Amino acid sequence: MKKLDNIKGFIESSFIDWPGRSCAVLFLGGCNFRCPFCHNHPLVQNPGELVSYPLEEILARLRPLRKWLGGVAVSGGEPTLDPNLPELLKILRGEGFPTKIDTNGSRPRVLARLLADGLLEMVAMDVKNVLVTDKYERCAGVGVDLDEIRKSIELIRKSGIAHEFRMTVLPHYHSRDDIIAWAACLGNDSPRKLQNYDPRSPMYPNLAGAKGFSPDDFAELEQLAYTHRT
Amino acid sequence: MGVVMPLQKAMEKSFKQVTRDDSTDLALFVRTSEEDIVGWKRQRIVDALLRETFIDRDTAERISIDVEKTVQTSNLKTVTGPLIRELVNARLLELGLEEARRMHTRLGVPLYDVDHLLVQHNKENANVPHGPEATNLTLAEGIKKEYALLHVFTTDVADAHLSGDLHLHDLGFIDRPYCSGQSLEYVKKFGLNLPNSLALAKPAKHADVLLAHMVKFAAALQSHFAGAIGWDAVNLFFAPYLEEMSDREVKQLAQMLIYEFSQQAVARGGQAIFSDINVYWEVPKHFVDVPAIGPGGEYTGKTYGEYEKDAQRFAWALFEVYKEGDGAGRPFFFPKPLVHITEKFFKTEGHMDFLHHICEVASLKGNTYFVFDRGDTAKISECCRLSFKLDASDLEDAKEPWRMRYSALQNVTINLPRLAYKAKGDDTKLFTLLTERIKLAAKGHEQKKKFIEKLMGLGKGGPLAMLAMDLDGNSYLRLERCSYLMGMVGLNELVKVHTGEELHDSEESLKFGLKVIAHMNIVCNKMAEQLGMKFVLEQTPAESTAYRFAKLDMAHHPEETARVIQGDMESGEIYYTNSTLFNVGAKMNPIARVEKEGLLHPLIEAGSITHVWLGEANPDKKALADFVIKTFRHTNNDQIAFSPEFTCCLDCGKTGRGITETCRYCGSAKIDGITRITGYFTKISSWNKGKLGELHDRYRNEERFVRK
Amino acid sequence: MTLFTKPDCRLCDQLKRRFDLKGMEVDIEVLDTGDAGALAHLAWHGLVETARKTLPILVLDDSATVDDFADIESLLISRAEQRGLKYNDSVAPAVSCETGVCAIN
Repeated sequence: MKKLDNIKGFIESSFIDWPGRSCAVLFLGGCNFRCPFCHNHPLVQNPGELVSYPLEEILARLRPLRKWLGGVAVSGGEPTLDPNLPELLKILRGEGFPTKIDTNGSRPRVLARLLADGLLEMVAMDVKNVLVTDKYERCAGVGVDLDEIRKSIELIRKSGIAHEFRMTVLPHYHSRDDIIAWAACLGNDSPRKLQNYDPRSPMYPNLAGAKGFSPDDFAELEQLAYTHRT
Repeated sequence: MGVVMPLQKAMEKSFKQVTRDDSTDLALFVRTSEEDIVGWKRQRIVDALLRETFIDRDTAERISIDVEKTVQTSNLKTVTGPLIRELVNARLLELGLEEARRMHTRLGVPLYDVDHLLVQHNKENANVPHGPEATNLTLAEGIKKEYALLHVFTTDVADAHLSGDLHLHDLGFIDRPYCSGQSLEYVKKFGLNLPNSLALAKPAKHADVLLAHMVKFAAALQSHFAGAIGWDAVNLFFAPYLEEMSDREVKQLAQMLIYEFSQQAVARGGQAIFSDINVYWEVPKHFVDVPAIGPGGEYTGKTYGEYEKDAQRFAWALFEVYKEGDGAGRPFFFPKPLVHITEKFFKTEGHMDFLHHICEVASLKGNTYFVFDRGDTAKISECCRLSFKLDASDLEDAKEPWRMRYSALQNVTINLPRLAYKAKGDDTKLFTLLTERIKLAAKGHEQKKKFIEKLMGLGKGGPLAMLAMDLDGNSYLRLERCSYLMGMVGLNELVKVHTGEELHDSEESLKFGLKVIAHMNIVCNKMAEQLGMKFVLEQTPAESTAYRFAKLDMAHHPEETARVIQGDMESGEIYYTNSTLFNVGAKMNPIARVEKEGLLHPLIEAGSITHVWLGEANPDKKALADFVIKTFRHTNNDQIAFSPEFTCCLDCGKTGRGITETCRYCGSAKIDGITRITGYFTKISSWNKGKLGELHDRYRNEERFVRK
Repeated sequence: MTLFTKPDCRLCDQLKRRFDLKGMEVDIEVLDTGDAGALAHLAWHGLVETARKTLPILVLDDSATVDDFADIESLLISRAEQRGLKYNDSVAPAVSCETGVCAIN
């Protein structure tokens, strides 16, 4: 077994990380984005400061839960950065768990490989904003090659497996028009999901004090995102 | 009141007359509690002593002369009846006449306390609002509680309560049974025909009238029971009235039912009726062939098995209303809907859609309770966790469902951690002490039973006339079939004291916890055989008891208690873990919690529950449904509920998800939280300190990372 | 291996007469005698509800449980044979428990 020492977070059972299923969640350290509103930022900025869960320990804790869990979601950070991801997915599948990843879509080649090798039952991709460079990069916190993002969206849409496009929204970063355009670029058939910004622990201190949309406004944005199609 | 009655009764009402007739030369006036001022008469002291106690006339005379002297030398112009009584009591005490003093004692409340009470909120029960009616309730409860401890229970039982060895629940309701579960059929068949009501209503012809009868009957019951009022298979028993109604009308009826119960603030000091409605998607096996009663109290000619579709329409509509919440989007606090998950549920058409529907309500609003009736057990549940298993004789009742009514007469809870402090690690001592406590609790139950029997014996002219009504040939309260609940608080802390580990820490500690509860179960069964009373274990809701025991133990056993107590000692927000629950803050995933807590449930026959605290997360309804099914299939767990948290804004009136410092809508800091306290939802501002401590500790399945 | 039984259970008696349970290293837990340890052990395996319907119950070393009487017998036979222990073949075949006492209260 390769050295799988990058599992920095572990939830044995979650009701919110896999639509329709209860699942376990593994969080891999490290990310190539620096989304200012990221709430998993300890994983992104300083994964080395977090305790790693040995895979054997995780498997030992997961095995008794097999009849309960609909699968294991591998999240992050950005899991596709970890060269051991395919191996990890294989091991999980070998233990009888369906697998899902959460990705930012910046590594379409890795994604294509995972799909081709049949290592995924589901994929959720964060599409951070409408595909316009300055808007996207503001949300990602780094320079982004939008072609790669487009490729990932296409791959996922055509993958034939369960999938979901997600976006975390917050005022001043996402306008109504952005959300309409965002929804339109995802095609007609793919499920999408908006998440309201959670102000409790943002990565960037200058976001402290910033609020998400009010629940009423958010509900309206959700409507836009879910109804607008190409 | 009635405290100086013996003194007043013999007195003439006219002040003039009294002064003229006064045989002593003491120019002293007595203020009585009948809003009356009368002249001094030593003889009244003698009369009262002879009437109320067993002492002899000579002693009574002697005491009255002594008291008269005391009063004379005090130079007072006026004294109060209560003061005279206390002077007499003091004299009785000096003479060593303790029994006579007890019999002659007066019950009441210090002025200071009343002043506080009228102004400040009583937090013993978060379900009681603050207001004039509520303070009436508290004052009356206070006096009845004193009465119970002095007059209903023997000194050993009363002392055990006062010292916190055990807790006699609802002492302020000493003259009522504890809780009641019943069938709507009683109202359908007999209409509203209550002993003290001014008008008699014949059986309802329309669904909305039936609802009105149900609500009024519930209110009448609430004033005769201390706790929960539960209704069996509500959606099924309404069904014969719904045949002609459109879906819209059925929804309207569902809305009326839920609003009526949640806003029912007419009875008992503005307190909502602690009401449960039991809901079935299928027609329960024991009702399938039972002839249905419909409009006018007449048999419809069909059996309940034929009303499945209408029963389902109503069940669906009820949960639509729960999903919407009240006018401000908050969850309804009452009535609590208990959905029974059975083998037949899974064989009934449409069950997955319904399961997703009620799971969505669980996720959004938290109302749904999932009650698991595995195998052939039929149950009706009520109160915070209490459920009654229907045994053979009850199933016989099911053929005439109006006969189905069940009551627990009283609940006594045992302070488990204290036993461990006393046993000091010695198993034999621990189990011996536990047996002694259960016996003492059983003695308390016998005494309450005797008291209620006495009141019931007064029949239709007595205070429990309503419970004595016998429209179907039996009294409404069937005393011989009542249960007597044995509760427990702090199994987790007992185990921690005794083994060094909490229940969730190791297999050994959990096994020891099981042994403690198994012992309680066995002793209860033995006592039941011995005394011919049905003693059953129950998970005490312990809304205030977990706090009360913790405080008393901090006073009596400070060192031992400090080592195991939960919460925050600095702020005084301390508590013991409820009943047999695991540490609420333990980082256990919900699967492990339902599995492991569930191992204890089959030993606790009156019902148990596992809470899954959700916090802010809005779980996926299908994921929850999957979890519910697996809990039914793979565990022994008796009942689960998911508890989300809310923040409602006192400024804009809107309700947001999660407990936040400011309103998510308008940003106001004037907010109040809402979540489940024990067995029901309520506003956090009304919680006692112990429960607040628990709220901070609750693990919400949210933590992800561990720093090195 | 653990066998959950109770004192006045005919089916349990039959097993006790037929097999050298001690020699076969089958632990016996006797229920309904006021032994909290035995009841707690039963609860640990999640078998309280089962035992309210039927006894005896056999719990295998991997925690699998068997409550069908014929299955229990054949499992015990094979265990006896594995260990080269004799068992009594002359006991009258499975008495069914019509009296309803082969369950805990």
